[in-house]
Amino acid sequence: MNEFLKELQDSARQVMEGAGTPAKEESTWGQLVELGWLLTAVPEELDGLGLGADALCMLSGELGRNLSEAPFLPAALAIEALVQSGLENKAELLAGLTMGGELATASLAGSDVTASGSGDSLTLNGKLVAVQSADNASQLLVWSNDSQCVALVAADQAAVEAVSRPGWDVTRRLFDVTLNGAAGVALAQGAEAEALVARLLNLRDFAMAADSLGGANALLELTIVHLTDRVQFARPLASFQALKHRCADLKVEIAAAEALLNDSLLKIEGQLGSDDAVFRGKKAKYLASATYSKVAEECLQLSGGIGMASEYPCHLYLKRSMLSEHLGSQGSYEADIAEAFLRQLSI
Amino acid sequence: MSSENSTDLLRQEVRAWLQENVPAGWREAMTNVDQELFFEAQRDWFKKLSAAGYATPHWPEGWPGGGRSLAEQKVIYEEVARADAPRLILYFVALYHAACTLMECGSKEQQEKYLPGILNGEIWCQGFSEPNAGSDLASLKTKAERRGDKYIINGQKTWSTMAQYADRCLLLCRTDNSGPPQAGLTYLLLDMKSPGVSVVPIHQITGDDEFAEIFFDDVEVSVDDLVGEEGNGWAVAQATLASERGLTLVELSQRMRYSLSFLAEAMQANGTSEDPVLRRELGNVIARVDGACALADQYLLKRISHQEQVGDASLVKLYYAQALRAYTTLGRKIAGLDGMFDPGFMRGATQETGNWPLDFMNSYNWSIAGGSNEIQRNIISERMLKMPREPKSWKWEGGR
Ligand SMILES: Cc1cc2nc3c(=O)[nH]c(=O)nc-3n(C[C@H](O)[C@H](O)[C@H](O)COP(=O)(O)OP(=O)(O)OC[C@H]3O[C@@H](n4cnc5c(N)ncnc54)[C@H](O)[C@@H]3O)c2cc1C
Repeated sequence: MNEFLKELQDSARQVMEGAGTPAKEESTWGQLVELGWLLTAVPEELDGLGLGADALCMLSGELGRNLSEAPFLPAALAIEALVQSGLENKAELLAGLTMGGELATASLAGSDVTASGSGDSLTLNGKLVAVQSADNASQLLVWSNDSQCVALVAADQAAVEAVSRPGWDVTRRLFDVTLNGAAGVALAQGAEAEALVARLLNLRDFAMAADSLGGANALLELTIVHLTDRVQFARPLASFQALKHRCADLKVEIAAAEALLNDSLLKIEGQLGSDDAVFRGKKAKYLASATYSKVAEECLQLSGGIGMASEYPCHLYLKRSMLSEHLGSQGSYEADIAEAFLRQLSI
Repeated sequence: MSSENSTDLLRQEVRAWLQENVPAGWREAMTNVDQELFFEAQRDWFKKLSAAGYATPHWPEGWPGGGRSLAEQKVIYEEVARADAPRLILYFVALYHAACTLMECGSKEQQEKYLPGILNGEIWCQGFSEPNAGSDLASLKTKAERRGDKYIINGQKTWSTMAQYADRCLLLCRTDNSGPPQAGLTYLLLDMKSPGVSVVPIHQITGDDEFAEIFFDDVEVSVDDLVGEEGNGWAVAQATLASERGLTLVELSQRMRYSLSFLAEAMQANGTSEDPVLRRELGNVIARVDGACALADQYLLKRISHQEQVGDASLVKLYYAQALRAYTTLGRKIAGLDGMFDPGFMRGATQETGNWPLDFMNSYNWSIAGGSNEIQRNIISERMLKMPREPKSWKWEGGR
């Protein structure tokens, strides 16, 4: 991470430290809009900060630390799609979505959508799952099954129906969204859309990896403080080697997943969505979310009874980690990684 | 010329050289081969590699093959791994442990005396561990007594890799019993042909016998061969151990990465390529091996830019050891019953031979030697995560 990003990270951490755990949706959203976090990946000629995927990941990591409820990732994806599009009024739309506090959201998992028509007269049918904070959104970012179309769909039309899906992870409010012949505006079509979908899903994997590692780090720190403060058998629990070694194992898993994410971001610079970058994104997301789950599972055990109490935040991390393992592209990441690897070998 | 271009050029150059020079079919040739032929092959390969200037990229400027930037070193390690060149096992301790210790802590005279020998193919071994001093290395007892301009050595070392073939030994001894255990240690350079040295190879679980016991009976070492000060051996030993954890793991992680193809080949060979469970496990292992590479690279960057923190090296070693275990375990699983019927071994390939039970057993080298996984966990939890240290006082309350 370069110096500038480090500074940005320090200030982000300071802001988030006051935001509570979990960081509430409304206040955090307001704050991140005000601080210009949604401008990170917008190029300078469109009045953005012109930073790359690494900046987006850094912010996702900080939000992950605090179990942020705000829909930063789907918003960032919609903004990225708009930036990449050739839409005439994109500057105006971007202004609303970055500093105007308007939300365009997207699915954090899979979707099953078909599109017909072109330009600003698209018709979309199908279903999106795990759309974050859909009730607060004015727009939806949608891509079709065949990746031939990426579109923005106004949320306030009768043909768009969002149904809340309350789940175990209370730090992200997810919705199923049905499109019954909804009208939409194309951001990209054909080969351009295909490349854009690859780019968006790739970015989503990296950002989810960062969110997971932020949470894993925060939870391990919290747990070590607890073990250090709690005295049993006339010793701090943290002095028992059986527990220390487990903490060390979690630390090393986090360190490797972090190194892999950072190394990947460095190596893909400017190549988001390429085959190589997609492969790296899959590995980073897989290793990070598997690590997050492992850390959360272990930390619940290491916390003892208090870990089972809802007032203690350990369970919030556990539930977020369990959900995160299932978010992203559907199907098995491990199997996808193996397949990409075997394909590379045979070339 | 930008540094990017210059490393690209180096990469091409190294790649082309390796293509010409890696002994074709060395894996087959080194399978179940006797010691002599293996040594000959190692000597030849070392000669070629050092003549080309690729055996010592980690040495400082002024030495043949040395003075490479970090980026250049990485390129060479990556290409050597990519070309599946044999490892220089016989010279490993000489090139890394001995050389790094001499560069960091040796006197100018000692460097001039010993480094050229290393370049000429002298074999070194490391004499630290003893029967009663393994993880607790500082409790070692092999005695060095000063008499005039000589030290007289008595005692025993064990688990010393390649000691039976070594010309010289990095020897950690006790010169003082009065203070805390670390304070009384002294670091010496020993000629293995000195009178009073005897070596007994230890037969290993893999069928190989690559380490040995060393016995010392009134062995004389000149004070010229004292590294650092008398009583300062612990600090010098740390330099030796650090060489093992840093640079070598960059190369070894890359080797593991290129050896992932052995897993794919094993699946192909017995028709399990489409097995969905194995494929998932393969995906998991690939991600972990990539994680090990990224962690080792990051460590090297930190080290070079003087940002290394206590415990960083332990993270690298512990993760590597565990990734290697996972990699070899999956290989065993893929090979299945058939894998259990070939007790042969391949020299010069260490833990990446494709003989999965062998590779699996060799993976324990990395979880036991050079500070076991448990010792790395102690370092990470106590010094990095700042968890309290073990209580010092301890009383034996039960019997056996
Ligand atoms: C392949 C190989 C090559 C080697 N090469 C060399 C060499 O060239 N030169 C040399 O000097 N030595 C060498 N060694 C020795 C090596 O450094 C020691 O084996 C190692 O330090 C462990 O010591 P030990 O074998 O006595 O195990 P012990 O110290 O007896 O440990 C036994 C078990 O107890 C655990 N344990 C020990 N202390 C603690 C603790 N405080 N907390 C928790 N668990 C603990 C260990 O992790 C281990 O699992 C080699 C070893 C191997 C396996």
